[in-house]
Amino acid sequence: MHIFGVIITGIGALFLFIGSLGVFRMPDVYNRVQAGTKCTTLGSFLTIIGVGIMQPEWFWKTLIIVVFVLISNPVSSHALGRASRKSGISLCDKSIVDKTKEFKGYQE
Amino acid sequence: MRKLFVILLLLIIAGGITLSLKEIPFGIPKTKIGDHFINKGVEETGSVNIVTSVVVGYRGFDTLGEITVLFAATIGLGAVIGTFRKNSVNREVEAASLIVYTGCRFLFPVILLVGTYIFIHGHLTPGGGFQGGAIIASAFLLMYLGCSNKRIKENLSKTVEMIGGLTFIAVGIIGLAIGQDFLFNFLPKGEPAELLSAGIIPIVYIAIGLKVGSELAGIIDNLIQKS
Repeated sequence: MHIFGVIITGIGALFLFIGSLGVFRMPDVYNRVQAGTKCTTLGSFLTIIGVGIMQPEWFWKTLIIVVFVLISNPVSSHALGRASRKSGISLCDKSIVDKTKEFKGYQE
Repeated sequence: MRKLFVILLLLIIAGGITLSLKEIPFGIPKTKIGDHFINKGVEETGSVNIVTSVVVGYRGFDTLGEITVLFAATIGLGAVIGTFRKNSVNREVEAASLIVYTGCRFLFPVILLVGTYIFIHGHLTPGGGFQGGAIIASAFLLMYLGCSNKRIKENLSKTVEMIGGLTFIAVGIIGLAIGQDFLFNFLPKGEPAELLSAGIIPIVYIAIGLKVGSELAGIIDNLIQKS
């Protein structure tokens, strides 16, 4: 059980590393938000659940933390991305599709 | 020239701090009272968290003063902001998107749960009434930012605040009434490190948590409604 938890925590740490690499390497705000959100959501999910598996008496507390992260992380990233699009930060040159032009309220 | 002057000034300040702190030995307790709290705190108050045993046990009267200061600050803020009401600018704020709205409504009870946990376990784990109250107020702040149509009920928040303050003072006066000091720990101390232990400390911390939470929520309400 302990080794299982260690493996899960390790995979989570790997995802967190990939996420930080994405934030560092991606060209514009939206790609960075995406890298930061996807990888840190899964990464922190696996890391925290892994700790809960290693210490079974903490499992329910870690479950509550995970639920919190699972809801708050995508929602806050959505708000960040939407706000930066609304305030007119442009996409990077290589992007080919911009769906926000179909909606009202997005300037450019 | 100016940079040189700044660097010189910083060097003088750094030298002064170093010289004044050089003689003070670090890590050696100056007073005996710290040792007393660490060695006898659990035994005397029943609270495993030594910070809590000091804040609510040994200097509970100061804590009453602290929450009174917070109360006065809330009243003062309400009075100051109330005078600006006439020439306030009504800014057009776009409502948050549906995702944020729903997410805030999901997260609100979770944050309340965390805050309540922190002030109920104030005598066992780090944290306590002030910290838990601040977390509860942050839940209300999230609600105000995400769901612009929701408001706290002012009467309910005032009532909760009043109950918190009254509980604190009543617990203190019961200590006086049975012939001991103000805020005397008259309840059984129980086993250390259990939820029902440390006598009156959990009761006082729950009262502080409710009071601080509703007060800070009231501050947020004032600032958002009237600015």
